[in-house]
Amino acid sequence: MDAEYPQDIIRQTSISGHLVLFSRFLRSRGYTLSLLDEADALKGLQAIGIRSARSYFMVLRTIYANNPWQYAEFEGLYREFLYELKRAYNDKVKKQYHRSTQKKPSRQRSLEALKDWLFNRPAQEESVMGSYDPIESLVYKDFSMMTPDEVTYILRLLETLARRLKHRKSRLNKRSVKRRRLDIRMTMRSNFRRGSEVGRWIYSERKPKKMRIVLLCDVSRSMDLYSRFFIQMLYAFQTGYDRIHTFVFSTALFDITAILAHHNFNRAFEIIGQRIPQWSGGTRIGNCLQNFIDENGYSMLNRKTTVLILSDGWDTGSPGLLGDAMRRINKSSRKVIWLNPLAGNPSYEPDTMGMVEALPYIDVFAPVHNLESLRKAMKAL
Amino acid sequence: MSIEDIRKILTSHDYIPDDAIVMSVFLSIRLSKPLLIEGPAGVGKTEIAKVLSEGLSAELIRLQCYEGLDAGHALYEWNYQRQLLYLKIMEREGASREALEDEIFSEKFLLKRPLLEAISKEKSPVLLIDEIDRADEEFESFLLELLSDWQISIPEVGTIKARNIPYVLLTGNRTRELSEALRRRCLYLWIDYPSLEKEIQILRRKVPEIDTALAAEIAAFMHEIRQMRLEKTPGVAESIDWGRALAELHIDHLDRSLIENTLGVVLKDWQDVRRATDSLSELLEKTGIKSKIG
Repeated sequence: MDAEYPQDIIRQTSISGHLVLFSRFLRSRGYTLSLLDEADALKGLQAIGIRSARSYFMVLRTIYANNPWQYAEFEGLYREFLYELKRAYNDKVKKQYHRSTQKKPSRQRSLEALKDWLFNRPAQEESVMGSYDPIESLVYKDFSMMTPDEVTYILRLLETLARRLKHRKSRLNKRSVKRRRLDIRMTMRSNFRRGSEVGRWIYSERKPKKMRIVLLCDVSRSMDLYSRFFIQMLYAFQTGYDRIHTFVFSTALFDITAILAHHNFNRAFEIIGQRIPQWSGGTRIGNCLQNFIDENGYSMLNRKTTVLILSDGWDTGSPGLLGDAMRRINKSSRKVIWLNPLAGNPSYEPDTMGMVEALPYIDVFAPVHNLESLRKAMKAL
Repeated sequence: MSIEDIRKILTSHDYIPDDAIVMSVFLSIRLSKPLLIEGPAGVGKTEIAKVLSEGLSAELIRLQCYEGLDAGHALYEWNYQRQLLYLKIMEREGASREALEDEIFSEKFLLKRPLLEAISKEKSPVLLIDEIDRADEEFESFLLELLSDWQISIPEVGTIKARNIPYVLLTGNRTRELSEALRRRCLYLWIDYPSLEKEIQILRRKVPEIDTALAAEIAAFMHEIRQMRLEKTPGVAESIDWGRALAELHIDHLDRSLIENTLGVVLKDWQDVRRATDSLSELLEKTGIKSKIG
C-alpha cells in the first residue's frame, strides 16, 4: 500500500487547501494526523464525490477520528473551525483598512495559525523548549498549588505508572502458549506417557498479577481543594489500569467507573457533577462505606483486591459505623490503604473521631499531597 | 462500487444502516483500510461483517480474540505430527537430507490459521477480528504488520504477501484501551444505540410477524430503560430477542405483569432486574404504556 495518488489530488485546489487548513486546526486541538491521513481524506473525498457539506464532514470524521470522544466532538470542532475561518477572513478584510491597530496578544492560537495561512506567512512551527527535568521542581509541590500544565504532566506520569502496574507479573508460573520459556519439568512429565520420545514442548510464563483495585474517593467540602485533582487522578489511573472500580462519596456513594471509562475527562467531570447533588457537601464516610460493603462487598472484594480510600477522615455520621465498615472491608480484602492529604502536614495527628475508629483496620496509612508522597503510596500497592 | 450499492447491500440483508455506517464501510473498501468499529454491546457491530460477507458474496473469516491469543493461533502453525510421520516414512525410503529439509517446511505442512488464510485467498474475503480489546497488547502490535503492509513473515518460508487485500473489520467494546498505533491504521466508526424510529424499523425487519404497535412499545420501553444507570445496558440484540419472544406468544401490546414476567429476556443482571422492577411504574408512565389493573 504505497502512497501513490493520482495527479489531480496532488494539485492544489481550494478543497485540498481547505482540508490542509482543517487538519492543521485539528492538530492544534491535540489530534495526531500524518500526511498519509490527509492524503487518505482526499482520496476518500474523491471517491465519494462531494455532494454536500454533510458528506464532506462525514468522510473526514471517519478518517480523522480515532476514539469515541473524538468521534463525538468532531461535529463541534468542525463548526468551530468554520466559524474561526470566517472570523479570520473578516479580520483580513478589516486589517487592510486599519493597518495600525495592534493585535491583542491573548488571541487563540488556532486563530493565529489560520491568519498566518491567510496572510501567506510561513507557519512558525512549534519551537523546541529548553530541556530541564520538570519533575525535580514538582516532586515536593502541594497538589492544591499546581498549575494546569503541571497537573497534566503528573497525570501522564500516573497513567504510565498504572500501565506498569497492569503488567506486573506474579512469582507463580503458568502454562503458556507463547514459546519463550521452556518448562522442562512439565515437558518431561507430559511426554512420559508416550515413552521416551519428546514430541510436545511445554512452555511457561509468569502469571500476571491479577490485582483488583477499588478506589473510594471523598468529594465532600473538606476535600474541595483536592477533589477535582483526585478525580483527574482516578481518571488517569483508570485509563491505564482496567481491573479497577471507582467510587466517589460525600453523603452517598456513587459508582463512577462507567462514566470515567466512556467519556473524556472534562465531560466525565461534568456528568459526575450533575449526577452527584451532594458534591462538596458534608461527609458521612461511615454510612457510605457500609453501603459499599453491603452492595458490592461480595462481588468486588476478595483476596486479590486492594482498597484505596482517599479521604481526610472528617466524618459527620454516627459513630461506630465507620469502624464497623472498615473492619468488614479489611476482613475481605487484601490490603486497605488510606491516603490522607492532610497527613502531609508535619503537625498532623490522626485524631479525628473517624480516623481513630478506622486506624486499626488500615494496613497502610499515608499522606498524599505531593508527587513524592503519591509515589510512595503507589509503591505500597 | 458506489455508496448507494453499499447501502443496498446492507438493507437487502436486513441491516438498517445510518449514513455514518454506510460511509465508513464504503471508505474502508475504497481505501483498502481496516475499519475499527466500537460501541456498546449488542448494537450490531459483528452483524455488519456478516451482512457484508453475504452481500459481497465473499467468504467470512472470523478471528475471535481472547486473552492469551498468540501468533500460533491467529496466523499459522507447523503441522508437527504430520512432519514427524513424513520424516519416518521418508527415512524408510532413504530420501536425501537436503530434499527432506526443503520438503518439510513447505506449505503442505503449514496449518493456516485465520489471518494467513485471509490473505492467501483467491477472492478477497471479509476478515472479522472480533473483540480485539480482549487480546493482549502484544497481539495488537503483532497485527500492525498485517494491517499496514498486508504481509506476514514466516521465518522458514519467507514473507507471504497478500494475494488480495481482505476487507478487514475489527470490533471492540472498550474493555481495554487500544493502542494509538492500531487506531491510526484504521478508519473509525462508533455505533451507538439506535434512535427510537430506527429501533422500530429494526424490530419490524428482524421480526416480521411482530405487531406494529408492540414494536413501537418495545422500542420506547428499551429507550427509557437505557437511560437508567444499569450494570449492563441492554442492546438491540436484547430488543430483538424480546420482540421475538413476545411475537411467539402472540401478544400485541405490553402491560405491567407481562413486563415483570419477561424482564429476564432483556436484563441479565439481578441488580438491574431489581432496579427496573422498582421503578417500573415510572418507566411505564414515561413510555405511555397503560398498566392493566385487576
